[in-house]
Amino acid sequence: MTAAQQLPALAAPATGTTVTCVFAILGGDGPAAPAAGPEGGHEGGGALRLLPLAARLRALVQDVPAADFTEDALRRRLADPARLEVCARAHHAVVTAAAAGGPVVPLPLATLFTDDRRAVAALDARRQQFLAALELVTGRAEWALKVSAGRPEASAAPAAGHPSPVPAGGQGAAYLARVRGQERDRTARQEAALRAARHAHDTAAAFAVSSVRRRPHGTEVTGRDRHQVLNAAYLVDDARAAELASAVRALAGTYRDLGLHVELSGPWVPYSFTGQTAGEGE
Amino acid sequence: MTALEYTTAAEPYGPTPATANLAEILERILDKGIVIAGDIKIDLLDIELLTIRLRLFVSSVETAKLAGIDWWETDPALSSRAAEHALTRENQQLRERLAELETRGERPPRRRSRTGDPEGGDAG
Repeated sequence: MTAAQQLPALAAPATGTTVTCVFAILGGDGPAAPAAGPEGGHEGGGALRLLPLAARLRALVQDVPAADFTEDALRRRLADPARLEVCARAHHAVVTAAAAGGPVVPLPLATLFTDDRRAVAALDARRQQFLAALELVTGRAEWALKVSAGRPEASAAPAAGHPSPVPAGGQGAAYLARVRGQERDRTARQEAALRAARHAHDTAAAFAVSSVRRRPHGTEVTGRDRHQVLNAAYLVDDARAAELASAVRALAGTYRDLGLHVELSGPWVPYSFTGQTAGEGE
Repeated sequence: MTALEYTTAAEPYGPTPATANLAEILERILDKGIVIAGDIKIDLLDIELLTIRLRLFVSSVETAKLAGIDWWETDPALSSRAAEHALTRENQQLRERLAELETRGERPPRRRSRTGDPEGGDAG
């Protein structure tokens, strides 16, 4: 796949040359035109269009300026949080809009080919995987479930307010009792949070045909006073989405007293489940 | 994206990408799904985006520590390891305190040495 890169293409400075950026693979039965409209996609790129592939698949693509999508340019752009965000949202918007018209297999951000011909060749070679993925996600969507715990200081202040009665054993025994009490509180909170995370996951997974647990987000995302204990995604039949939502609502009510926050988001394009069909997992 | 929390019901398919949580988008579009080696290599993502991703995710204990995201290890409320450390520390403190009390002759009432005290344990 690196053949094109070894060509002395650099000799000819890009005069309005473009490369082909692929956003997603669509099945054969969806709309004939990109749902996002011609104006979506990456900045400076051309109109979104559908590229016919083998097995009646289509690739949702955009011609993007070659100069903006070199390795160097990409590296600089994607390492800049603000520009990364623009890129990420543009990609996500195109994929999401396409999914409204039928099942899609989203491809990772910035899947790039030097031209259509090379894109078709590379994509056709994976058609079995695309077909299997489309079958898996048809009529289903991805839902995200997150559980986070408040800081222990906030949710369960140590019982320092009321001086505990001095037991018969005197100061040493009192010290012992206090230390044991604190340790019990800590252990109990920890176990409660982890148990809740497991329980929430099991509850949601019961509605799903597949599920993945992800790394929890750091406090940069959740805020310093929240610790995420569950970050998971579920592939759910559209017909069961409402059931999932009400089950999660019930959970959230139960967990509120424990200082736990439960959040369900979706439906997402099933990003997290299209890579599993080839048996090579995540 | 429709954040349901526990107030609203499921909505028809139609998320709003503009309002979706960026971290949630990134963890999906960077390397999930079917990854195809394109002509323009962006394996660089793994390296160049690390700085950003470290701030967003608790990627592993080691990287999290490097990035200063060490609550997982140090917050006793969430880390069994930290809880163990806390226990060990407190155990040690207790032992020291007991030893100190014993050398001062302030034995707690009704106390009998039960654990491997070399000179005790022969109460009969």
